[in-house]
Amino acid sequence: MKLFALALTALLPCLAASSDAGPGKSMGSPNAPVRIEVFSDFECPACKGLHERILPLVFKDYVIPGKVYLVNREFPLRMHQYSREAANYATAAARLGKYEQVADALFLNQLAWEANGKVWDTVANVLTPVEAKKVQVLARDPSVMSEVERDVEAGMAAGINQTPTMIVTHGTSRLPVAGAVNYNLLRSLLDGLLK
Amino acid sequence: MVSSSRVLRAVALALRIALGAVFVYAAWTKLREPWELFAMSIDAYKVLPYWAVLVVARTLPWAEMLIGLALMAGRWLRVSAAAASLLLLVFFGLMVRAYAKGMQIDCGCFGLGDAISTRTLARDGTLLAGSLFLTWMSFPGRRKAVT
Repeated sequence: MKLFALALTALLPCLAASSDAGPGKSMGSPNAPVRIEVFSDFECPACKGLHERILPLVFKDYVIPGKVYLVNREFPLRMHQYSREAANYATAAARLGKYEQVADALFLNQLAWEANGKVWDTVANVLTPVEAKKVQVLARDPSVMSEVERDVEAGMAAGINQTPTMIVTHGTSRLPVAGAVNYNLLRSLLDGLLK
Repeated sequence: MVSSSRVLRAVALALRIALGAVFVYAAWTKLREPWELFAMSIDAYKVLPYWAVLVVARTLPWAEMLIGLALMAGRWLRVSAAAASLLLLVFFGLMVRAYAKGMQIDCGCFGLGDAISTRTLARDGTLLAGSLFLTWMSFPGRRKAVT
């Protein structure tokens, strides 16, 4: 976690560098040879697994060395009651550079807020009172809501029908990787692309 | 009046060509992508150890290609039809198991983006029924009907 925080600080200038990714939702160098767009839903258990177990490894092994540019995208499924609300809060928090903290908290406490519907309490816990106030306002901002909608539309256009799905782009090839993946296989795939 | 054996023969021939084409297409969708993507689809079913996932991911598409070509060419018909039936039986069983367990995973049938659903189950069930019929037709006494 310490490594993650240090690297995140080092990469902060890159966070808003992408033109098509939402501000504060991408990590690494936009010039990296491989780009991974992660379409996820905060209420989906497999997305929690990807976020907590796989993405930190991708970050350490590929994003920090500049091999992969990681872009987080929202894909709240209709079957999940609170995932759109969670996506709006996370996207709003990204405007303050707090996406990762909010995403971590939402996934960590997924079972709790999924059961009691207290999404905001989970989000507010990792923000200062000033940040919380801003995020609450931003989450209702049309630009934030349309950003979430744009992610959903981009996912649907890419043929995504389940979460999580990663779109791995290298040159002209776009490879969809769906579900909770085995890191050894993902590493083999990325190493093959980077050869 | 067209005899029933002639109709049966025409159906079996069409089935053999169609099933062969489906197997060739299924193999091609896997072979055109890095093998790791198919390995991830297999791994998602959580039935095989990691080493077996690697072996199956690297060999199954070639087996599908071979079976498909044999079916289309009408060669080694008993073996190819029985192998197709066996494979489809395994695939269908695994898909039913995954669906019953509520696993939201890709079926891995024709490349990616094909999540397991009632539609994919109906499709594979139909293929299995066709393949079993073809296998039955390819055995002694029935063989001349499909070649």
